[in-house]
Amino acid sequence: MSETSTTQRRVPWWRSQDARVIAALWAGFTILGVIFALIVPHHLMGPSASNTMTEVERTFTAFSVASAPVAAVVWTLGVYSLWRWRRRGDWTPDDPDGPPLRGHGWLNGVWMFASSALCLFLLIWGLAALSSVDSPATASTPLEIDVTGQQWVWTFTYPDDGNVESDQLYLPIDRPVVFRVTSYDVIHSFWVPAMGIKVDANPGMTTTTQTTPDRLGIYEVKCAELCGLLHADMETDAHVVSSQDFEAWTASQGGS
Amino acid sequence: MTVADIYKTDPVKGGPDGGVMRRLNMGTGILGGVVLALIFNLVIKELADDTVHEVDVRATVTMVGWALGFMAGMGAFTGPFRWLVGRDLTHADEVFLAGKDQGVGRYFRFTTDHKVVGIQYLVLVMVMLGAGGTMAMLIRTDLISPNSGFLGPQTYNSLVGIHGLTMILATIIMVTGPFGNFVVPLMIGARDMAFPRLNALSLWLLVAMLPVLYSAAFLGGIPMGWVGYTPIADQGPAGVDSYMVAIVIFAISTAVAGANITTTIITMRARGMTWTRTPIFVYGVMASVVLALPAFPMFMAAEILLVVDRLMGGGFYVPNRGGQPWLYQNLFWLMGHPEVYVILIPAVAALMELTAVFARKPLYSFRVAVLSIIGIVGLSVTVWAHHMFASGWAPDLNGPFMLTTEMISIPTGGLFLVILGTMWRGRIWTTLAMMCTYAMLWNFIIGGITGIYLSDVPLDYQLHGSMFVTAHFHYTLMGAGLTGAIGAMAYWFPKMTGRMLGKTSGFVSFWLVQIGFNVTFLGMFMVGLEGQPRRVVHYDAAYHTGNTISTIGAYFIGVGMLVLLYDMIASWRHGEPAPMNPWGAKTLEWTVPNPIPLENFAVLPVVTEDAYGYGEPAEPGPVRVPVPAGAEAGPEEDEGAMA
Repeated sequence: MSETSTTQRRVPWWRSQDARVIAALWAGFTILGVIFALIVPHHLMGPSASNTMTEVERTFTAFSVASAPVAAVVWTLGVYSLWRWRRRGDWTPDDPDGPPLRGHGWLNGVWMFASSALCLFLLIWGLAALSSVDSPATASTPLEIDVTGQQWVWTFTYPDDGNVESDQLYLPIDRPVVFRVTSYDVIHSFWVPAMGIKVDANPGMTTTTQTTPDRLGIYEVKCAELCGLLHADMETDAHVVSSQDFEAWTASQGGS
Repeated sequence: MTVADIYKTDPVKGGPDGGVMRRLNMGTGILGGVVLALIFNLVIKELADDTVHEVDVRATVTMVGWALGFMAGMGAFTGPFRWLVGRDLTHADEVFLAGKDQGVGRYFRFTTDHKVVGIQYLVLVMVMLGAGGTMAMLIRTDLISPNSGFLGPQTYNSLVGIHGLTMILATIIMVTGPFGNFVVPLMIGARDMAFPRLNALSLWLLVAMLPVLYSAAFLGGIPMGWVGYTPIADQGPAGVDSYMVAIVIFAISTAVAGANITTTIITMRARGMTWTRTPIFVYGVMASVVLALPAFPMFMAAEILLVVDRLMGGGFYVPNRGGQPWLYQNLFWLMGHPEVYVILIPAVAALMELTAVFARKPLYSFRVAVLSIIGIVGLSVTVWAHHMFASGWAPDLNGPFMLTTEMISIPTGGLFLVILGTMWRGRIWTTLAMMCTYAMLWNFIIGGITGIYLSDVPLDYQLHGSMFVTAHFHYTLMGAGLTGAIGAMAYWFPKMTGRMLGKTSGFVSFWLVQIGFNVTFLGMFMVGLEGQPRRVVHYDAAYHTGNTISTIGAYFIGVGMLVLLYDMIASWRHGEPAPMNPWGAKTLEWTVPNPIPLENFAVLPVVTEDAYGYGEPAEPGPVRVPVPAGAEAGPEEDEGAMA
């Protein structure tokens, strides 16, 4: 090791210029990242229209906040090494090499421990969120709706209401709903972006997804699996209405 | 008794030198392919006349005829054929096959020299990236406004599929093809690959594959995207047959190349090159091809079952015949997820290799690098069903697949540690190749973090099938993978062509591509979060802003890539001649002169230490610097080094 670093060893590493600038950069990147994480995803995903979407947005924000310091480590070290240790001019064979650091056992350990801890956090969070969105609602009897995809329309059938059939989705607010999804022809994917639910519609099989809409309004239903020529047009509306309006609607459709 | 004595065989009884094999080249290959395709087409017309699947049967058989005829016309079967008839190739024949003293013509023949094959791969990859990139430009132009009407839905749907497949196939071979073939034998101190003829075979199979793949454009296109999901593939036109045959040819090529590269690395390393002295890029290439060996047969099997479905009325994937679309998805993703690491690992390994050179420091923790690669390889075969969270298949398995997927972030973090540690206090020379390392770090951290969102099941329910996924995998495969390949190209260009890559246009291209890339795919994240599905020819006006941003960014990438292409061609033709070792690197490929002799090394090298001894005393022996008296030993010494 060179003389310089022998002298530098007298200064504790945490008081060196490198450490201070890096800490400042890291804090700056982290703060920027956290601000971004708190504002932008929520803004882009728009107001949530169901308990599932609330969970999705919460998870997205939480993961973004947790990622900010990790990304900041990489960006900080990258930016700092470019600024501080960049060679001016081309290399020539007489130039001295860098210090021969072949790895520090403790750093490898800390790094692996930190990434494993983060991974464990993600897993626990994910499993909790998964059980919350996948568990069948127990508060009240869920409304069951049969969803059928075919090239290139959606059909919604309400078996509880005398098999009313509609090409638009009507949902009463605050009542759990279970979608039983299937397809006549190829694979489609039933997606209501504002409600955070998606499941493939497979021919010959029935898949389910559930949510509780909690916001009045008109939302989009889309197909999220390339299903042929007019895939891009396979859209319809989901109306979340009050329970009185919902009953009025089923009655007007000839339901019971 | 020497090795040569033990393995001494009977003298080879060959025929006279020369013969028809010396007149075969790409021209005779194309001729052979067209002729055999016509013959097959006419014969099958008689045999399969008026059957239900006549069109598909004829299309498929014709394409198989083309591939066989092309390979025969190229001379791919000359060796086995001559051996069968008892007139095995003579030494002079082998030297001819290796392309000795043939000038440019050897690049258009079935040449076995690994350096020729490497250059052929490089050109092939550039052609494929050019084709795929042009398609990307068309796609982005269509999406510049909500209802541009630039492309019709049928054209658009086919285009996203063929763009995707072209790019996936190109990126799979973009590092292990050009650099795995050209550089790895040099790097391990070998004279050629273990099986030079298989090497040429793997390359020319890909050339045979391209017309088959692009014939889809004239046969009705492919309606189902690059993943080829059934049952929409079952109802598709004959373009789907092009897809299936192309995949099968590609899988054979990968298997051949994988077996060849693996054998070469295991058995042909120079004397003294133990596993701990083997450069990390060699590990990366080996990991990639070892992973491809079990992965691609899955894809091939999936397509063969699809052939049976489409051509012979089988029902593997047809629900009303007892079939299962989820079977296809499982087989496909058993290939599809290992495949992303087939693409990524060698690209990142190439960047690790060159980071050590340009930081003038040993690779930081070689052991972590190797273990991370092994960890990724091992885990990547256990995660495939995270592509199927929203498919409805086996909801009970969502938790376990979420676990394995998130675990991959641990060894991936190890790769970051190695690169950042290698940069730490280096003497960083910001060549184009080194800049690619920085760009990779930036892009891969974004790609990696967005991958974590997608591994989370509830988030994946929302984001699956949206533009968010498209943006995510472009960040990993293009932002990290392709950037790594460009870095590898910039690093090895002087050795491969004997000339230096032009600096100015290289940097112009770098910034155009990287800025354009981030603009394009950040815009795509935006519309994905807003709720735009993938693969739609038009979209709601609400997504206009993000899509316009993406399209503008894409044009920047396009221009940047053209600048890079210009730079490569101009430097290749009349660049400044490269010295033997322009970067001062310590790996063996830089010890051979330019141009590289046919047999690489006049005397095979003997290796006594690893290739990362920057800043260390040159003589072999303990490389640790003794701690000066009075200084603390142990971890404190390391901390001092960090200051």
